[in-house]
Amino acid sequence: MKVLVTVKEVGEADDDFEIEGTDIASSDLEYDLNEWDDYAIEAAVQLAEAGIAEEVVAVTIGPERAEETIRMALAKGADRAVRVWDDAFEGTFADVSSKVDVFEAVVDEEEPELVLSGVQAADTAFGATGVALAERIGFDHAAVVNDLDLDADAGVANVHRELEGGIEELTEVDLPAVLTVQTGLNEPRYASLRGIRQAQRKEIAATDLADLGLTPADVESTLTLTEMYEPESDSDAELIEGDAGEAAGRLAEVLREKGVGA
Amino acid sequence: MTGARVGSALTDEQAAVRDLVREFAREEVRPGAREADAEGSFPEDVWDGLAELGLTGLTVPEAYGGSDADETTYAVVNEELAHGSLAVATALSVHCLVTSCLAEFATDTQRERWLPEMAEGRPVGAFCLSEPHAGSNPAGMSTTAEHDPDADEYVLNGEKQWITNGSRAGVAVVFAKVDPDDPDSITQFLVPADAAGFEVGPSEEKLGLRASDTTPIAFDDCRVPAANRLTEEGRGLSAALGTLTGGRIGIAAQAVGVAWAALEAATAYAEEREQFGEPLSEIQTIRHKLAEMSTDVAASRLLVREAARRAEAGEDARVAAAQAKYRASEAAMSVANEAVQIHGGYGYTVEYDVERFYRDAKVTEIYEGTTEIQKEVIARGLFDTR
Repeated sequence: MKVLVTVKEVGEADDDFEIEGTDIASSDLEYDLNEWDDYAIEAAVQLAEAGIAEEVVAVTIGPERAEETIRMALAKGADRAVRVWDDAFEGTFADVSSKVDVFEAVVDEEEPELVLSGVQAADTAFGATGVALAERIGFDHAAVVNDLDLDADAGVANVHRELEGGIEELTEVDLPAVLTVQTGLNEPRYASLRGIRQAQRKEIAATDLADLGLTPADVESTLTLTEMYEPESDSDAELIEGDAGEAAGRLAEVLREKGVGA
Repeated sequence: MTGARVGSALTDEQAAVRDLVREFAREEVRPGAREADAEGSFPEDVWDGLAELGLTGLTVPEAYGGSDADETTYAVVNEELAHGSLAVATALSVHCLVTSCLAEFATDTQRERWLPEMAEGRPVGAFCLSEPHAGSNPAGMSTTAEHDPDADEYVLNGEKQWITNGSRAGVAVVFAKVDPDDPDSITQFLVPADAAGFEVGPSEEKLGLRASDTTPIAFDDCRVPAANRLTEEGRGLSAALGTLTGGRIGIAAQAVGVAWAALEAATAYAEEREQFGEPLSEIQTIRHKLAEMSTDVAASRLLVREAARRAEAGEDARVAAAQAKYRASEAAMSVANEAVQIHGGYGYTVEYDVERFYRDAKVTEIYEGTTEIQKEVIARGLFDTR
């Protein structure tokens, strides 16, 4: 089967950063593969190593700069990559629906049986692309997957989903499917020197909207970024000191002041 | 992996290797460095990780499962790894020196026998050149390898000193004279560590680099087949010149890694430590110190890159390698010294890493050719070309 993995290059801000317009200054950003996507790549490569996946294709929406990060996914074992970019994306703030438009077109072209996607991206944290894509392309889906056992013959993915409050749901998803991958699903490998060398020779197909049969109007975003600021935060944490008796006494006092057990 | 893209003339592939080793050093090497130093034990799990990344095959030809890295990649790996732990970087560079010698001088059969396994991490290699009475002057060595024509074997006798990976190694490249009376008869041999008469001595108690496994090795009628002679008789040192120059660039890169680690620690401390009502980073004396340290690191790194470029281009890199090693090791020492100074009393305790950087840095001025020897090489270059 073919596995498609959606990946994203995200900028992580230094501890100290400047805001320029509606973004963090690029000099204060370090670009890296989105953490969740690293687990998705690892899951796909493990399926390839187990002989279940015949091909692992990474797809991203990002400018040329993102190739360095995408190549890391190739170095870890993805077979090839598709990088979609278009002038229409420059300076815009893509919404989930425009990303799904792009990925839908890529899925039509690639015809994967399994799409793996990180639960969320570390920068925008929408946590929506994977499941919205599943809805659009009519695949079954499971979100926040932290355990995966794929039975290719039966065409079923047995997954654990992480729910709130420490509860896990064990469920079966029929293929073709979209799974959004939670950190902890596996232990992402480091690339190897050999992998890095091979990755230099693997294909990253630069693709624009026209190549996918889309127009700028198709991916017009309903979102506009109007302002970027650092929220002010007050901290009035009190560190309780003293031995256990004193600390317990002070804690009880604080709780009473705050109305607990009053 | 970081996405730092500033000021480097590395190729995409070299940059990707740098990012990979940087992340590995930060996540897997540095966290255990203090404990390994305190216990004086080499972190074997880190070595296994290096093997998984393919770093133990850095200087092994691709045909034998290695990556046959270019000199710049080799330097970048050494710098990044030394930024995590000099002891680990040193162990790897010695292993690589051995695989380089095997790749260059060994027979096909021997390459088949050793290189694929060494590329996978084990056996580890050791490089036996220095002796108790012959350090900077290898021609003064007294280890001998006498040819026994009946068995067609060489019989090694003598003592080697300061052998990195001494007790970890499964195979060693050994330099010995085939004629005890002829200083020009130094020859290179391949000696498996399980050969009878290969005797590993006790670990040295060292000022720094304490996680590195350093021992003496004695040869007591240690016999190896004549086929284990790697170079023609008398060509042991001269044939290995290119390899040793490359190794020197690697050591220079390691010194840059230590200096950079010390600079980074001092910068972070200067930002958080407050005196006289402001962070140290606001005080001009400290700011200027850090500016000097930063310039030292940058200059050293560029000398290393230039030496690597020359070696890669097939130019004579001996002087450039010596300049890089001399400058970078002095930078490591002075930057680590200032880093301790900026930390004040805390820097003198094991609570902070800078005291280890300070102890580790010193050895970079001594091993793989002392500063004095590097200056001699540089001076020779000056007068020979005049």
